[in-house]
Amino acid sequence: MILDPPSIALNPLIKISLRQSLGHPLRTFLLVFGIALGVAGVIAIDIAKTSVSKSFELSTAALTSRATHQVVAGNFKVPQSVFTEIRTGIGIHRSAPVIESRVMVKELGNTPLTLMGIDPFSETYFRDLTVQTNGKSDNNLSNLLTKGSGVLLSRANAGPYGLAENENLTLVFGEQEFHTTIAGFLDSKNAASNTVFQGLIIADISLAQEILKFKDDITRIDLILADKTEVNQVEKVLPSGVFLVETDQQNRVVRQLSRSFETSLTAFSMLALFMGIFLIYNTVSFSVARQRKLFGTLRALGVCRMDIFKGVLLEVMILCLVGSVLGILLGILLGTGAVKAVCRTVSDMYFVLTVSQTHITVPTLLKGLAAGILSSFAAAIFPAITAAKTLPITLLQRSASESALKRYLPLLTLFGCLIICGAVAALIYSNVQPGVDFLGVFMIFFGAALLAPVVILFAIRGLLFLVQGKAGVIVKMAARNIARSLSRTSVLIASLMVVTSVYIGIDIMTTSFRFSIVDWVTGNIGGDIHVSSSDTLNRALKPKLLKNIQDMPEVAAISAYNIHRIFSRTSGEVHIFSYVRDLSTKTWSWTAADEADMPSLLDQGWIFVSEIFADRNQIKAGQRAEVTLETLQGPVSFKIAGIFRDFFMGGGRVVVSRKSMQKFWGYGDITAMQVFLHPKKPAKPIKPVMEKIRSLIPEQDMVKVVSGASIKQGILDVFDRTFLITSALQILTAIVALTGILNSVTALLIERTRELGILRACGAETRQVGRLILLECGLSGLISGIMALPLGVCLAWILIHIVNQRSFGWTYDMVVTPSTLIQAVTLACVAAVLAGIFPAVKAGRTDIGQALHME
Amino acid sequence: MDILLSHIDKTYDDNRDRRVIFENMSAQFSGGQFYVIIGKSGVGKSSLLNLMSGIDLPDGGTIRIGDTAVSGMNDNARTIFRRQHIGFIYQFFNLIPVLTVIENITLVCELDRMPQKTYMDRAKDLLNQTGLYELRNHYPDTLSGGEQQRVAIVRSLVNDPEIILADEPTGNLDLETGRVILDMIARLAKNGNKTLVMVTHSPEAMAYADQVMQVEGRRLVPETKGSDLP
Repeated sequence: MILDPPSIALNPLIKISLRQSLGHPLRTFLLVFGIALGVAGVIAIDIAKTSVSKSFELSTAALTSRATHQVVAGNFKVPQSVFTEIRTGIGIHRSAPVIESRVMVKELGNTPLTLMGIDPFSETYFRDLTVQTNGKSDNNLSNLLTKGSGVLLSRANAGPYGLAENENLTLVFGEQEFHTTIAGFLDSKNAASNTVFQGLIIADISLAQEILKFKDDITRIDLILADKTEVNQVEKVLPSGVFLVETDQQNRVVRQLSRSFETSLTAFSMLALFMGIFLIYNTVSFSVARQRKLFGTLRALGVCRMDIFKGVLLEVMILCLVGSVLGILLGILLGTGAVKAVCRTVSDMYFVLTVSQTHITVPTLLKGLAAGILSSFAAAIFPAITAAKTLPITLLQRSASESALKRYLPLLTLFGCLIICGAVAALIYSNVQPGVDFLGVFMIFFGAALLAPVVILFAIRGLLFLVQGKAGVIVKMAARNIARSLSRTSVLIASLMVVTSVYIGIDIMTTSFRFSIVDWVTGNIGGDIHVSSSDTLNRALKPKLLKNIQDMPEVAAISAYNIHRIFSRTSGEVHIFSYVRDLSTKTWSWTAADEADMPSLLDQGWIFVSEIFADRNQIKAGQRAEVTLETLQGPVSFKIAGIFRDFFMGGGRVVVSRKSMQKFWGYGDITAMQVFLHPKKPAKPIKPVMEKIRSLIPEQDMVKVVSGASIKQGILDVFDRTFLITSALQILTAIVALTGILNSVTALLIERTRELGILRACGAETRQVGRLILLECGLSGLISGIMALPLGVCLAWILIHIVNQRSFGWTYDMVVTPSTLIQAVTLACVAAVLAGIFPAVKAGRTDIGQALHME
Repeated sequence: MDILLSHIDKTYDDNRDRRVIFENMSAQFSGGQFYVIIGKSGVGKSSLLNLMSGIDLPDGGTIRIGDTAVSGMNDNARTIFRRQHIGFIYQFFNLIPVLTVIENITLVCELDRMPQKTYMDRAKDLLNQTGLYELRNHYPDTLSGGEQQRVAIVRSLVNDPEIILADEPTGNLDLETGRVILDMIARLAKNGNKTLVMVTHSPEAMAYADQVMQVEGRRLVPETKGSDLP
């Protein structure tokens, strides 16, 4: 039996490893930075996801408190008499009236906050409001709120703007401004409580009624009901159009919105994870591979296999830990920025997130750390095993690793094909269950990475065949060098391919979405001028104004409608529309009857619903369905005639006939209209017509006249903000691409120092050597860019048809423009060439004498 | 083409150690002659070739090749001068592994952007003379050591340089092959009236040389043929 020689102490190996790392600061820096960047990407998006989710949770908790039930109205206005009846008639003391509305605060830079009007005497059961005045705790809410126009807000909101007690606070509601005074700060020693009340302005209910002109109405009544008897008692006293809902059910609607963002961010978090893993793998495998010679020498000197194995892993793990820690710090920094961006988008568009703090959880940090350690381990393990198993003489030969790869090439290719086929089958036959989609994407990426060596060989052979006899020696050398160092270049090209495909996937998704949005906005806002009420309290336009506008000689047609908010148990806030004359163009994804029959079906009391509404109510395209909406007459079931494509979030939108609107919700008004002008050739400016319309509006009426174009632009801007995080991810892909390739090219050049020395000795000028390196980089970029095209399109399909659909309920057609594909290939090439500049300059300066004596 | 080294100083700094290789060293190599340089390991034989070819620069003194002061040129000018006037043969052949035999041979001409017709015939002629024509489309790693060194010799001669510098060209070959290679270098250099400077430990090389010189005491001194070799 042959035994390994006795194990020598590991210490000298650690010493060698550390000196290797310290002796090559640039290489070590690139390795650590590569790991840090990979970990940071994973952590940043995970922090954004966790924080947004937590913000939704805390914001909901602040609003609903300990209430078990809520009394709400279909039109969000509950008569105050209902509260009196519940409190004094039935005798339920654990009840509190609440008024809630979104307001902007001038002194806080027009930040949207939630104004909450409460009855200080009823609050004891529901919310623990701890107030600080003059630096002391003061729990006498009634004293604070009932004096003048005092309001309370969180110190966290006031702090950054330097606001102090008794200072003015201007609340903007619609176009009206109200002056209030800061009576105190919602502030307690309990950090969790402080967080919950961030983003809230608490006022006495009577002040809120005055500000919002609610007269004798309130938004809702919070209740703590002990049993079914109390539930029945409350339900009995509720007038029609007012109903009792469980808080959990109410919160579910918000949770659904929260889940939309979580799903979307999870998708991006997974993409960041993929990129992180590939970058780390690329970085570490290059770092280990470059030490083959050292391992060979050590083995020849008598260091046993296990020591080499342990030494390789130890060095990688030490640097990986340093990189991971730096990555965690960088990730927290990037994550904080991402949280602010996402919360701002959510608050602007859908739901005021009163809390937008960064929540850094242990699982998030562990996930980042695990990504760093496991990817580094996976990248180091095979070279470590090879270094330990291989004969010392083979380790000393650089060509040995290439021969090994070429030997396994058919197997790798077959394995890659099988993985891709398996992943595609899983995506098709699993009906794309949550989790399977991204596992499928990862498998496709992994399979494609295994195919990289064979694709590179074919690509290089094809290129050399094409340029046969025409290309100079530098071009031939560049192409052959890529094929010759296949074990290195395939890792580099595969990593760049993954990063580029993520870029393509995101770009196709955003481009497709924008195309659909533009179509949708153009269809819905086809009018040249848009006239609407800006009075949030009375939104009806005067009939005389309508007639006057219609009679203007410049006006060809008007499309007038009203829009109101109603409450739906399943969807929360829903916008209902009824048109006098609908001139908008909608994209139908499904119809219960022919599109031509739609107007008559609408008149018969059927309704049209938006995709998001259909999604929230689990209505599938092609099914005949009915849905129950809360009306003034109580819950009424409506037949759905069609589903139209729509991109507004929240509970969705419903189109009803004018008759139904009047009958079920009591609205016969007109709140907005689109004005279509006579087409002029050449087109004349619409500003004079807008001025003319403005002159028809009495001074005291609050009516907004804006051009259709500016509304369209406004909507597009808002939706563009939704994809802010995707743009950030695209920037991250570019940095990852640059770092990865810089790392790999630097490592590759170190191995080729002697060859570059020969070239220089043969008379190659500095710039000729530089050109060779840049050509190699550019070619690698080109191959990876081309390989990324099918992968990127596949990723885009999953993002559009699975992730976005599941997240937001949006469906839109995938638009693959040549510019996206060209841009992606250019990105890969440019990133590769840019990353190659520094190594190229360095290569040009190769010390010939030293290089030639390396052997 | 003559090579004139005047008052050359060359020092290397190895971390904290300062190693003086040449101190006020002068020497002249006449055109068309075959010089053999001998000396103990580490005395600076290869450094001498690097200085003569412009791969390295002296700390002091001047190096002239023909009428050109190579030591006064910038890196780019030295590179261009080297590829036009000097051919180099190394102990480890130093062929580019991704280029075929013919591509390796014509590399210098291509780098110099010479029209193909001006060098291709000469390249083929040299390949025939060295018995490599049949192997012209092979890659270096499929050739034996002797074949690789023959490729390196042809490469050094293809653009018809006036000077050939050879750094232990037989050091990596067996005796028999070494003899063949030595004979080939000497013959081709003589036929082309080249100035050949060869660093070697091989006693056989001295038989071919017009003059043997030894690096000793930081200088280059003439050596009598057959004196005790390192």
